[in-house]
Amino acid sequence: MKVEQLSLDELRVLLAGQGLRVKMGPFNLSVQTRLPSLIHQLHQMYAHYSLADEDEIVEFHVRVIPKRSIRQPFARLIRFEVDGRSPFPPVSVEQALATLEWGVNLVIAMRINHLLLFHSAAVERNGHVLLLPAWPGSGKTTLSAMLMHRGYRLFSDEFGLMAPEIGDFFPLPRLMPLKNQSIKIIRDYLPEAILGPEIPGTLKGTVAHIRPPQESIERVDEAAQPRWIVFPKWVAGAALRLESLPQSEAFLLLATNAFNYEVLGETAFDAVTRLVRSCECRKLVYSDFDSALAALDELTDG
Amino acid sequence: MAEFKVDTRLDHHQLLLEAIIRPAVLIDYSNSQWELLLRVARRAKLLGYLAAWLEKDGLLDKIPQRAVNLLRSSLIQVKKQQQSVNWELSRILWALDGREILIIVLKGMAYQLQDLPNAAGRIFADLDLLVSKEALGQIESVLSEKGWQHHALTNYDERYYREWSHEIPALVHPERGVEVDVHHTLSSPLGNLKIDPLPFQEAAIKVEDEGVYVLSPEDMLLHCAVNLFQNNELADDLRHLLDFHEILQFFSQQQLSFQEKLINRANRLGLGRPLFYSLYFSRLLLHSSVPDQLKKRLNHQPGWLALRIMHNCVPLALLPQHPDQPSKRAELARLLLYLRSHWLRMPLYRLLPHLIYKFYLSVFPGKSARARRNG
Repeated sequence: MKVEQLSLDELRVLLAGQGLRVKMGPFNLSVQTRLPSLIHQLHQMYAHYSLADEDEIVEFHVRVIPKRSIRQPFARLIRFEVDGRSPFPPVSVEQALATLEWGVNLVIAMRINHLLLFHSAAVERNGHVLLLPAWPGSGKTTLSAMLMHRGYRLFSDEFGLMAPEIGDFFPLPRLMPLKNQSIKIIRDYLPEAILGPEIPGTLKGTVAHIRPPQESIERVDEAAQPRWIVFPKWVAGAALRLESLPQSEAFLLLATNAFNYEVLGETAFDAVTRLVRSCECRKLVYSDFDSALAALDELTDG
Repeated sequence: MAEFKVDTRLDHHQLLLEAIIRPAVLIDYSNSQWELLLRVARRAKLLGYLAAWLEKDGLLDKIPQRAVNLLRSSLIQVKKQQQSVNWELSRILWALDGREILIIVLKGMAYQLQDLPNAAGRIFADLDLLVSKEALGQIESVLSEKGWQHHALTNYDERYYREWSHEIPALVHPERGVEVDVHHTLSSPLGNLKIDPLPFQEAAIKVEDEGVYVLSPEDMLLHCAVNLFQNNELADDLRHLLDFHEILQFFSQQQLSFQEKLINRANRLGLGRPLFYSLYFSRLLLHSSVPDQLKKRLNHQPGWLALRIMHNCVPLALLPQHPDQPSKRAELARLLLYLRSHWLRMPLYRLLPHLIYKFYLSVFPGKSARARRNG
């Protein structure tokens, strides 16, 4: 059963009652809310997600509820809660969807240590995973949004989830927040992309979410081994460069940007060592999507 | 807005207590029981503790995979924290090397140094140390010299610590971020219960190979009791009662008439009241085996009415709230115990302005940051 098979009323009953329990990559997520605007947005944006199997354990329980403030008595504020506690200060009701998505990411990053969590986009082509780790100005969300509409299967724009002992990566396709200029860039380049509402005034400026393609969500149980690590960087007007990167440098870049590298300690060290040894490591500088796509296609062919 | 609906067939307190008392019951928990237990245990900061027990008893492959993943995640985090605090202690000893200062390690790190049964999987992020009041200045200046810093504090908080508290403001080394709490006694000097740290220091036991001391078993339990029923507000504090229970059981099995010695020690130090409550509630909630006639020998037992009120309030505070349906009764109990703990720690003329100030900050949190900048 998928969310899109529920009528808006059925969805509302779940969200306002025991919670909408959906499968979110290797995890299950329960969402509760009574905000009409958020219910409408989730009806569209969560359409492809499957409901969690009956009687399966749900790992994360989140809520978005209205919040009154003594300091701003007339503002329409909402509060994001996980297990009844709020990690953020209240925000305006317009930011509900963005806050929900960030909140869920935060909970995953705070609570999950049985997997190594790279701060990285990940896509799959020809049965293997291409990691696109974040570094400043990388535009990993925009790049993975483009790739997932050009034949790559989206794993995630935010988390590279790796089982440290066996090296498998797991898909976690979630809504992808495009920020500021990238919203227009993607609207122009990918008119077929399904975008949520534009949400101005967040901590990261204006945000609009892209819905992951149906296929990515349907094949969420198919893990894959990594084969390529590409550190992308968008530079205005730059000519395309795809250069090989020494393993030592790739190691440092990956280890320092994993969410829980320190917590996992030796396990993480061994896992990242094996990862960079088994992958082709590259640095990508690009300014337009078409040439970046051609270069990545060539890298991941066959 | 009405509350979200909850499945009332699941009693969250019962699920948690049974899991703690007999972890073997966990292999029979249904998925929906697991789901609630995981949330409640996380709130009680006991996920790592449960994980450690299941791992030790080889039961991790007999429970649902999603539960295993969350339990293991928690245990990994806890082990990292324990390692960090351990390292912080080693850095402190390095910084103080050559100075004749007697350092007594308290709480979590002390349990770990002695490998007590409650130490496995136990969450603790701070390093708590007890030193003599005379050594405080020296320690503070040496540590400051070697890079430890105090958090930025408001003038009010600084004064609170320096004049009214049993510890100095936490010291943190910015490279590591572990809080070091240096105590000079075990309870607020303003409180109704005057504790002389000297007998604790005299009875302290040297830890082999470490160059530090820990409290004697009896004193460790008394400190635990004082923290529960004198220093803290009891809210979500089940894990500290569990410390008490585990340490009590451990030494009761190791030493003949340990409980007798504990009672005598409490009577001698005037700590009968907090010990009474600790024994009472660890028996009530965790089924500690304590003979009735033993407790009767304690001095300073509470009166009938006080015990009645505590009996009704304390479990509601110690045990975590249901994550979806917090009970109003438990909130009231927690408020009463919050007021009680302040009442015990400060005379009324200090308490009222303090609570008003705290309430003001809870409504206008920005003011505290401003006070810090100006102060």
